[in-house]
Amino acid sequence: MSRTTSGIPGAVPGTGPFFDPYDTLPELLPLRTAARAGDWAAVRAYFAALDSPEQVSFAVGLLAEEDGVETMLERAAAEHPADPLPRTLLADRYVRIGWAIRSDLRAEHVSQDQFARFHAWLRRAEQLLIEVCAQAPWYAPAWTVRLITARGLQLGQAEARRRYDRLSAHHPHHYPAQTQLLQQLCPKWGGSWDAAHGFAREATTAAPDGAHTGALVALAHLERWLDLDGPEAGAYMRGVPVRDDLRFAAQVSVLHPDHRPGWHWIGAHSAFAMAFSLGGHFSDARRHFEALGDRASDFPWSYLSDPKAAFVKYRKSALATI
Amino acid sequence: MSTETNQTRASGLDALAGLVSHTTTQGIPTLYAPAQGGEITAGLFFRVGRADETLATSGITHLVEHLALHRLGLTDLHHNGTTANAYTLFHVTGSEAEVVAHLNAVCAALRDLPLERLETEKEILRTEAAGRGQGANSQMPLWRYGAQGYGLSSYRELGTWSLTADQVRHWARTRFTRDNAVLWITSGHVPAGLDLTLPAGTRVPAPAATGALPVTPAYIHGDDGHVVFTSVLPRTTAASVFADVLGRALFQDLRQEGGYSYTAEADYSPRDADFATLTAYADALPQKQDAVVGGFVDTLARLRAGRIEQAELDAVRGKILKMYDVPDLAAAALPSYALSLLLGHRLLSPDQHRAELEAVTVDDLREVARQAWDAGLLQVPGRGADWAGFTLAPQYSADAVTGTRHPSLEDERVTLVIGAEGVSLLTPGGPVTVRYDACAAMSVRPDGARSLTGHDGFCVSVEPTLYRGVTPDRIAALDAAVPPGAVVRLPARDPEDIPRPGQRPAGGARPARTRGAAGWAWQIGFWACAALTALWGLLCVLVTVDEAGAARPEWDAVTGIWALELPLLFVSWKLLREPRRRSR
Repeated sequence: MSRTTSGIPGAVPGTGPFFDPYDTLPELLPLRTAARAGDWAAVRAYFAALDSPEQVSFAVGLLAEEDGVETMLERAAAEHPADPLPRTLLADRYVRIGWAIRSDLRAEHVSQDQFARFHAWLRRAEQLLIEVCAQAPWYAPAWTVRLITARGLQLGQAEARRRYDRLSAHHPHHYPAQTQLLQQLCPKWGGSWDAAHGFAREATTAAPDGAHTGALVALAHLERWLDLDGPEAGAYMRGVPVRDDLRFAAQVSVLHPDHRPGWHWIGAHSAFAMAFSLGGHFSDARRHFEALGDRASDFPWSYLSDPKAAFVKYRKSALATI
Repeated sequence: MSTETNQTRASGLDALAGLVSHTTTQGIPTLYAPAQGGEITAGLFFRVGRADETLATSGITHLVEHLALHRLGLTDLHHNGTTANAYTLFHVTGSEAEVVAHLNAVCAALRDLPLERLETEKEILRTEAAGRGQGANSQMPLWRYGAQGYGLSSYRELGTWSLTADQVRHWARTRFTRDNAVLWITSGHVPAGLDLTLPAGTRVPAPAATGALPVTPAYIHGDDGHVVFTSVLPRTTAASVFADVLGRALFQDLRQEGGYSYTAEADYSPRDADFATLTAYADALPQKQDAVVGGFVDTLARLRAGRIEQAELDAVRGKILKMYDVPDLAAAALPSYALSLLLGHRLLSPDQHRAELEAVTVDDLREVARQAWDAGLLQVPGRGADWAGFTLAPQYSADAVTGTRHPSLEDERVTLVIGAEGVSLLTPGGPVTVRYDACAAMSVRPDGARSLTGHDGFCVSVEPTLYRGVTPDRIAALDAAVPPGAVVRLPARDPEDIPRPGQRPAGGARPARTRGAAGWAWQIGFWACAALTALWGLLCVLVTVDEAGAARPEWDAVTGIWALELPLLFVSWKLLREPRRRSR
């Protein structure tokens, strides 16, 4: 066994990048082990040891990906009716089950029956979360999942915004919720580019130096790029205004001396690395690739048809600018 | 039974000893307590209201009230008549002599109604109804109760078309009786000279509630800009406190914190002896209404979860207790005592009420919040509320009748069925059925149109001009099958108002949009272009056939002329779409 320069234990050099959070953030492994063993006490202990709501939201989202975990969560939710954690985890799991039925295709490719089953799962999730948020309005992970249910159930812009506002009254810069609201604000979910860019910009300005929030600026540009066709998309990302926007946002967030990595840093650096690369600004992308090493996140790289190859190619171009 | 009732009443009145005096006046239970000032106020309650009527007779109580006050219309005395769901109140303020004269006149009129005025008063009531705006929550009663009892307040007073003098006289004689009345007077004594002689009768209990909602909490779709929640709660002090707590919570969450609403409030109104109606309301700007629905749901959930600050409870309690800081407390409370006596609700002395208020806890409020949710009906604009755990109120009947089938002349997917047991409208979404034995009213037009409303509130309109084969025979079969008491004869319609296939029925949903001059220009453009497209298309086909038969077909040329057809098709399609897009 050797160690790569990226610090991923057990990784064979040259086989990266790695997208799986359990590879890139090995401190998450005990969570998966506990979940797979159906050991609720261990899962709860793991969450209890986390020191920020952002980390809790990250771990909630990750655990919800675990197939079959709902069995343990349903039992835990029944046994601990006053604890917001098991119901939030269960709700997020229901959302994933529903979304797997819906698939990530555009709405016109999803059948009526798929939509009906998708909505039924989301309603189950939502009703758990209504209860959790009523009991514990300060519990950011539940509101974060409620932003996803609001989107899937098409509850509208105003309702999504209300949910975010309720959350931000307690946690003004909760990055996982911000990325969810950003999705809602994009035209594909009934928003507008003005709303999406505006939110990214305002949230970045309001956030303390070194917060992940600045990555919203990159994510908003990536959403716009995804929406544009062919040459227009590349031209958009190459534009000077976009580059300057990205530079500023990176400076105040992941490149700021006060930046504390947490668990969202891989996604945040990935957003900048990808956005700069798509615009051909490889010298700007370099610092993000250097920080990432062999680590990457599914999102936003999954917006490219071959994330791994793209990562390698862009990283090579970026590192060649030295 | 009647002694038992008397005992209950007597023991109830004991609670008010030393505060309110009681006696009977010509057999009418009378409560009185002194108030300062030269004038006195009196109210004569009868335990009859809209909920006692049927859809076909609805308005009959209101008519009696109007007829009773007709001769008194021109005095400058401050007086009024009110017809509510469960009671009717005649209310007057003036000198002792004026009040005596007024009440005597009301009772004289009730004994002998000026029925020569009937047709005029019916017309006045119809005019009054036409001018009356429909409140945001006007549809809630019919969805909860159907077209009967407490649901009738959602409907126009249909009886104002067809009620006869005999019906009205009979209603007055059986409902406006001394045994079905309670009098209250803000005076230290019962004024001399009162002659409130009324026929003997019985105290009629408020009607039992009917149910049109198979599942609660339920929701219905309503107009933009309004969110309404109603529920039915047992009448308790905690429930009345809860209504105020809910009103404050909605105001705080939706207006102060969110800025989504201007008005956000809640109300608690006794329905009958044992139950009260809770109504909560919030308005919303169109672009904010989704947030108002969400905020409403979350506020209800918060109270249900028991996350109620002690300070919220204390503030409401303080506000209610202030009610007792008025001069002439007993006189001010007379209307509410009289109504409780009339409905058979327990009478609470101020001390008992204060003690109950003090005893209300946050846990009690949580319990009320859960009851309110469980029996709730929510009206939302826009999207539904199934995501929050509400079930859509029934939009279709459970089954359809069989009988003669009459396809719609407007929509081939719709069929009217006239059967031996009822009528059904078969629509793609499901059937809508009114059974004759559960028909609340059938309105009848001389032109043959019939409109049947079931006790459950479902309605089927039989317009002979809109369905195939609705012959006079079929209409006659309907007329013979519907109970005579449910029939309401309406006057002839303006011929313009008789619907014709292909047009929206007059008075129907939205007037058809008229297409302007620009629309016609697009129209002409479309036809011209379409004609050219068709001609060119024909030419293409001919050339293709010709070339196919040739020894050496010139397929390049064929492809070329087909390629010219494409832009033509495109332009035609665009022209066809354009005016539609604009008229949205």
